Amino acid sequence: MAFFPIKGFLGTGATFEADLNLVVQVVMGVALIAGSLLAKRKRYAAHGVCQTTVLLSNLGMIGLVMWPSFQQQVRPALPEGLHKWYFAAATIHALLGVMAELLGLYIVIVAGTHVLPQFLRFKNWKRWMRAELVLWSIVVLTGMGTYYAWYIAPFG
Amino acid sequence: MTTKKIWIVGLATTVMIAMMLLGTPSVAANDQPSGASADVKIDNFSFGPQTLTVFVGTTVVWTNRDDIPHTVVSTDGVFKSKVRDTDEKFSYTFTKAGTYPYFCSVHPKMTGKVVVQ
Repeated sequence: MAFFPIKGFLGTGATFEADLNLVVQVVMGVALIAGSLLAKRKRYAAHGVCQTTVLLSNLGMIGLVMWPSFQQQVRPALPEGLHKWYFAAATIHALLGVMAELLGLYIVIVAGTHVLPQFLRFKNWKRWMRAELVLWSIVVLTGMGTYYAWYIAPFG
Repeated sequence: MTTKKIWIVGLATTVMIAMMLLGTPSVAANDQPSGASADVKIDNFSFGPQTLTVFVGTTVVWTNRDDIPHTVVSTDGVFKSKVRDTDEKFSYTFTKAGTYPYFCSVHPKMTGKVVVQ
């Protein structure tokens, strides 16, 4: 993303994209919690729009920032580099993140469309969506851990 | 002290001074003549030396001694390495005099400068 400045804006050793991604992820995490409260208040249409927007926005952040970064900086060092926090944190975050994104997409497809056959659809909505929210929260935390390992700890 | 001893002491002193002069490089280690090369080590999230002074025609070789991948990217877009893993190198030959600031695009807090004379 050459049209962005190089240095980040949070005062750490991060790039602009990394800082932007961190802020966007935190905002999206808050939005997901707000979206779950909408469901609690039975505002299901708004809940669906909110959660789907977050999910698709995250897909964009994965494609633009996280996936290229992982491919360039982490994948060549695997599996030998896994004993280092620098690579381990990013790998754990990536694995959990892919799971959360796929699970989210599955939930959105089941909840918002009829494209999947009946045997692939679930009915216990709350359990699936709560599981997704918990997984997403863990992904956000591991993302923060990755940010710390990459951009704060080395320059501390 | 006899004349012979004075000669011996004088000769020994001359030889010692000559050896000291010959042993000292006439230019700094990084000030290599044209066509030479100079090294920059990437270690512990920093470039060393941070400022390198070389002559026109010098090839600067950056070696990543860190266990983390880094890049070497000119701030002015003159040169740009791919991601360099541990022990991988990147080199660039400077053909024009000037000051060339650079950084690691993965960790932009890591900066360095090549001064070409």
